[in-house]
Amino acid sequence: MATKNHYAFVIDVARCIDCRACLVACSVENNVPMDHTRIWVYDQGLQGTWPDLSRAFVPYNCMHCDNPPCTEVCVSGATYKDATSGLVLVDQEACIGCGYCVAACPYGARYIDQSRGVVDKCTACVQRLEVGLQPACVATCVGKSRLFGDLNDPTSEASLALKNAMSVTRLDYEGNGMDADPNIFYLNLPDTSSIKASDTFGQVPQSTLPRPSQYTLSEAGWKKVAIPLVAVAMGATFLAQAIFFTKQLIEGEKDFED
Amino acid sequence: MSHKNIPLPERQRLRQKMIKKHNLANILTHWFNVASWLLLLSTGIAIISSPRLGITPIWWQEMFRNLFGSDANLIRFHYTIGFLWIFVILFNVLIGFRKYFVPFASHRMLLDKDDIDWMMIKPLQMLGFRKDKELPPQDAYNAGQKIYSYFVVLCTIGIMITGPVMVFKSLFPPIVKQIAQPIHFICVFVIVAWLFIHVYMGAIFPEEKEAFFSMFSGKVSAWYARAHHEKWYNQMLKEEMEWQDNVEKEVLESTHLEKTSGAD
Repeated sequence: MATKNHYAFVIDVARCIDCRACLVACSVENNVPMDHTRIWVYDQGLQGTWPDLSRAFVPYNCMHCDNPPCTEVCVSGATYKDATSGLVLVDQEACIGCGYCVAACPYGARYIDQSRGVVDKCTACVQRLEVGLQPACVATCVGKSRLFGDLNDPTSEASLALKNAMSVTRLDYEGNGMDADPNIFYLNLPDTSSIKASDTFGQVPQSTLPRPSQYTLSEAGWKKVAIPLVAVAMGATFLAQAIFFTKQLIEGEKDFED
Repeated sequence: MSHKNIPLPERQRLRQKMIKKHNLANILTHWFNVASWLLLLSTGIAIISSPRLGITPIWWQEMFRNLFGSDANLIRFHYTIGFLWIFVILFNVLIGFRKYFVPFASHRMLLDKDDIDWMMIKPLQMLGFRKDKELPPQDAYNAGQKIYSYFVVLCTIGIMITGPVMVFKSLFPPIVKQIAQPIHFICVFVIVAWLFIHVYMGAIFPEEKEAFFSMFSGKVSAWYARAHHEKWYNQMLKEEMEWQDNVEKEVLESTHLEKTSGAD
């Protein structure tokens, strides 16, 4: 889906020190409830044997995919991919917080805010982008680990960082006939299979690797059972009245008393 | 009791005579329901925009979103009309419970043996078999209408419960809101499936012309009632005769009183 802007995060894993300033900045900027976080940092834990030790911290948030699996399941159209910025956003006025999209997101980037009964997630701080500022997490990042910019603009910070990168990793999800094409580009990401969660709130997924898109029982039942049933019922009744109507047209109208 | 061997003058008399079939309250409720359904169905279908379900054509979704300005406004309109509909329908049922609903439901919704027989015969006749078979006499509503009414009542309750669950979103856990959506959808479209038949029978099918106009005037001709709803017709006749007897008795009593008082 070609959009006017192609916003993307470029995150240099080697520069992240797990200070969590981005989590705080994000929560303050977006009034995120205390028991949730829109973004988080994975802790790989110590790798290797002494003296050859390594440790990586992987900042994580909504990937603003090119083909988001979450918008595929949203019934009311509350979750959508914005046509100009290309960001995946939630219209919380239209959202009822059912969580179909929460199950569908391969990255676990969404949560349900039950106090308002809506789904919430990283918005790349659209309110800041509109006035020409960087997202709060990017603006506050001490080590310049998080970068953000428009990939359609070759002079943007993100484009330049990608151009000069030694290694670029994208945690792509392909499955269920979908190719998500996420828009977080990790620089210097070590072996991803070993990276597990250091879980701040019990809210974040256990692995950096995308999990398969899931469909809740009611969503799958709706698609696989309810729609065929309804289609058959409506088809049958429509056919029945169509037959009688044609019969009536062919035979002409007979009033019952005649 | 066939209606086929009645002499002409009697037939003409029966065709002239009108019998009241529907109360004004029920007629108004019916047409309010129709108007609400037209609005709710068109906007409701427009809301369902999930590409994975692929129910609604894109042009329909876009037309309504452009009309109302946004998803949220479309949804607000939908549930505002929905609440109005719930309020009016429930108000009419509950307030008119003893006067309209109980007689309506008790005399016109319960199935009896004749209805079962009718269900065995009528569909076959519609397909062109068993033309020789006489249909059992029917009440004010025939068995088909009664069965439709069961579906409608059940599904209406389903719609009225699941709709508010989705509107008051912060009061219900996600799992409830997940289940509510397909239930809402199924309830609506079960009724819509029946609606094809209902509308055809009511508005287009020539034999039922009187039934259609009775939804405006409330009256059907005695001839129609006799042919289509014999049991109900006989009931009406009985009531009419009782009423006549009562009137005659009153007249007799009053004349008797006058005579006795005149003698003083």
